[in-house]
Amino acid sequence: MNTFKLTFTLNGEVTEVLAEPSEMLVDILREKMYLTGAKKGCGKGECGACTVIMNGEAVNSCMIPAMKAMGAVVETIEGIGNKDKLHPLQESFINEGAIQCGYCTPGVIMSAKALLDKNLDPSNDEIKEAIAGNICRCTGYVKIVNAVMSASQKIKG
Amino acid sequence: MKTFNVVGKNIKRNDALEKATGKAMFSTDMNIPGMLYAKVLRSPHAHALIKSIDTSQAEKIPGVKGIATWGNTPRELFNTSATMTFTVPSMEPVLDQYIFDKVVRYVGDEVAAVAAISEKVAAEALKHIKVEYELLPAVFDPLEAMKPEAPIIHECHAGKNIPAEIVKFGMGDIEKGFAESDIIFEDVFKLPIQKQAQLETQAALAQVGSDGGITVWSTTQTPHPSRMIISKIFSTPQSKIRVLNPPYVGGGFGVRIGLSAKAEPIAVALSKLTGKPVKIVYTREEDFTSSDTRHGGYVWVKLGCKNDGTFQAMELKSALNAGAYCSFSGETPGVLGAMGLAVYRMEHMSYYGHSVYTNFTPSGAMRGFGNPQAMFAIEAAVDTIAERIGMDPLELRLKNIIQVGDNWCLPYTCGSTGLAECVEKAAKVIGWERRGTLNEPGSKILRGIGMGVGTHCSNAWPFCVDYDNAIITVQQDGSILLAVGVPDIGTGTSTTLPQLAAEAIGVEMSQVNMTFGDTLTTPFDIGSHASRTLYAAGTAVVAAGNDVRKQILEYAAVVMKIALERLDITKGIIHISGSNEAESCEGSGICRSGEESMTHISVRELVYHAHLRNKQFIGIGRTIPPNSPPWHAHFYEVEVDTETGMVKVVKVAAAHDVGKAVNPMIVEGQIEGGVLMGVGYATSEEIKISAKGKPLHTSYHKYLLPTAMDAPEIHAIIVESNDPSGPYGAKGVGECGMVLSAAAIGNAVYDATGIRFNEIPLTPERVYKRLQENKK
Repeated sequence: MNTFKLTFTLNGEVTEVLAEPSEMLVDILREKMYLTGAKKGCGKGECGACTVIMNGEAVNSCMIPAMKAMGAVVETIEGIGNKDKLHPLQESFINEGAIQCGYCTPGVIMSAKALLDKNLDPSNDEIKEAIAGNICRCTGYVKIVNAVMSASQKIKG
Repeated sequence: MKTFNVVGKNIKRNDALEKATGKAMFSTDMNIPGMLYAKVLRSPHAHALIKSIDTSQAEKIPGVKGIATWGNTPRELFNTSATMTFTVPSMEPVLDQYIFDKVVRYVGDEVAAVAAISEKVAAEALKHIKVEYELLPAVFDPLEAMKPEAPIIHECHAGKNIPAEIVKFGMGDIEKGFAESDIIFEDVFKLPIQKQAQLETQAALAQVGSDGGITVWSTTQTPHPSRMIISKIFSTPQSKIRVLNPPYVGGGFGVRIGLSAKAEPIAVALSKLTGKPVKIVYTREEDFTSSDTRHGGYVWVKLGCKNDGTFQAMELKSALNAGAYCSFSGETPGVLGAMGLAVYRMEHMSYYGHSVYTNFTPSGAMRGFGNPQAMFAIEAAVDTIAERIGMDPLELRLKNIIQVGDNWCLPYTCGSTGLAECVEKAAKVIGWERRGTLNEPGSKILRGIGMGVGTHCSNAWPFCVDYDNAIITVQQDGSILLAVGVPDIGTGTSTTLPQLAAEAIGVEMSQVNMTFGDTLTTPFDIGSHASRTLYAAGTAVVAAGNDVRKQILEYAAVVMKIALERLDITKGIIHISGSNEAESCEGSGICRSGEESMTHISVRELVYHAHLRNKQFIGIGRTIPPNSPPWHAHFYEVEVDTETGMVKVVKVAAAHDVGKAVNPMIVEGQIEGGVLMGVGYATSEEIKISAKGKPLHTSYHKYLLPTAMDAPEIHAIIVESNDPSGPYGAKGVGECGMVLSAAAIGNAVYDATGIRFNEIPLTPERVYKRLQENKK
């Protein structure tokens, strides 16, 4: 098989992994790095469940060929916080009931983080736009938008 | 009013931390050593005989480990839905599916499946399976499918292509009722096929042991009934089968009440063939084409009314599109009629309804289960009558809604209703008094407000078998393990059921842990559906909690030398009623057994005291739930763009009588999510079909469900009528948010445009066309 050595920065660590050129980043994360936080809801870039941040931008990792991740800085849900030190978005999502089945949650949080990394004072519409590519079938988005808003206020202090 | 320590509080969800950090395990995340991957070959034809299948070329592909077809899998009939495990006598469940059959009946029907070392190899192998088909005539509309010349999809006893029974019930004398009516509205409404479109597609991982024992991790909403189905298909004792969620499920909305389409049996069959664990994950396209949908079809309504607004008679009929296999097509028309006839009081009512097989994706359970279809028609009738007699539609509804104790069609009593309060509160939030004043002459945007009211059930009894068990085991360290066989499909049951247990026993929430969604660690339960989990499984949890509490207090009375009646448990401390229960005794010495001055002892210390004397406290709850109607009133404000036909929902007020909100934040989430799913149903969601039976909406992109950008301002309003039958007064809520959207949005669009749409979704195309016709 025509594999190559993919080198990229994953959650702050320089990572090397053997990949096939046809492989997508989501499969490398899930199948090879055992980081299953990024979910596969469609495999076609339509649902956003696999959203990660690559070089500062929220991307559908199911649409990123392995080659494109070469040398990139990739952040996944597992890298932004843990139970002892949650990211403010994770904290808000928990506190404000923005999580139901949880399948879309990692992707939504990563899209929201990409927004807040650049804009700490988003309007409701800007939040909705940032997560427009993330389908949630459970919440009606009400508590998700509220949680992103309150996380932005928390980060601002 | 009773005060609660745990119930009624916005306790943070037990599953939220794992889900927010990406650690939560779902079936699609599962990975075990030696695991193979499965892919399914599906029919490209709507109806055909399989003349031959040649798998020889596919078998030669390196990495292919096994191929399953009708020839090497059990010839055991089943029904993927749990209906085959809980149909109530004297009804008979309809069993019309094999894992693979010699006939395919819809585009997407299963033909064969391959297990291989990777999904890629399995997918490649599918291309090398040669199937020879003999095409059969196909039919796609339920009314067409009943005609004598229509092809037979399955042999049926109730009528041409009619699965299960025709549902008929009513009360009074319908002809007399209409004869006594001053005004009668009658019309037919057409409903689309909607998809649950839950985020996690159907998935299962099966492992068959060398002793024949079967373990299946899956996305099912009903592990115990799924185990019964698997047991029948593979002729394996239920006690040798374990079905579990791992433990999370990426949404359900009815799509996996029973098996996850055929994910479980295909994985088990391939695991048996290969001797390896086999995982199958449906693609999104497969999830659209080959797992149950909401029933589309036709609903007729005839409503008779006196000039003063008193409803006299209602006749309701339905013919639903069952698709190619029965699934829940026996029950759905039943619930459509039962819920449709339960909202308004009148003497004369009748219902006649059934499903009809067609050559399309099977319809099954989806949030609301026939109720949204019924209410779309009924609420249009109510608004039309209100207009004709010149009465405010809100007043007309308040005049006619069911009251506690009223005679109605349901086989249980209406024990509570907060519907009038729902109407009042939601009307205020939407600003009902603005109705009729929203439009400026000449405006290109037309605005309107519409409403609807409705009910639902809080579990499936007596329509289906419905009973619950809960076991509460107090551990030696005082921590409490609650075992209930329902899953948490996202609705928060792994938080709210422990809340009920903590309240019943009298301990802190943090003291209770729960095992759920696993047939090995929990007693039988029919699962999470029918808006039942909190109400029905919760009743069993409270019973188990009360049982444990009684055992603890009886033991404490002896240890503390205090009369049982004087003892209470609060926040994990056993104390004399009325004393300062919050005062902890731990470490102070008075907790030690045998002290005459003992006034407090912690549950933790008491259970260890008991353990040292060979005693453990185990509480059991075994209940058959009664049933009770949750009530809801929905108000929608819409804008209709006359240049594009676009209907935009701008504001929603949704008030729900949930009896008692055990966790208000979770209840609001259920309502908000249901509302938006309903907005999609009313305005954009539909699976259409090509002339040859190919589904045209097979991806999120094509299907057009609401995104964050489409979400209106939603006000979820909780009304508490404290139901006498539910746990701490609670009733169902899960499906209710979905029930009225189409009905009330239809009424809002009429208010805006003066056009009555008898068919949804209200797509720009459909609306624009009527707006143009109206101009002429």
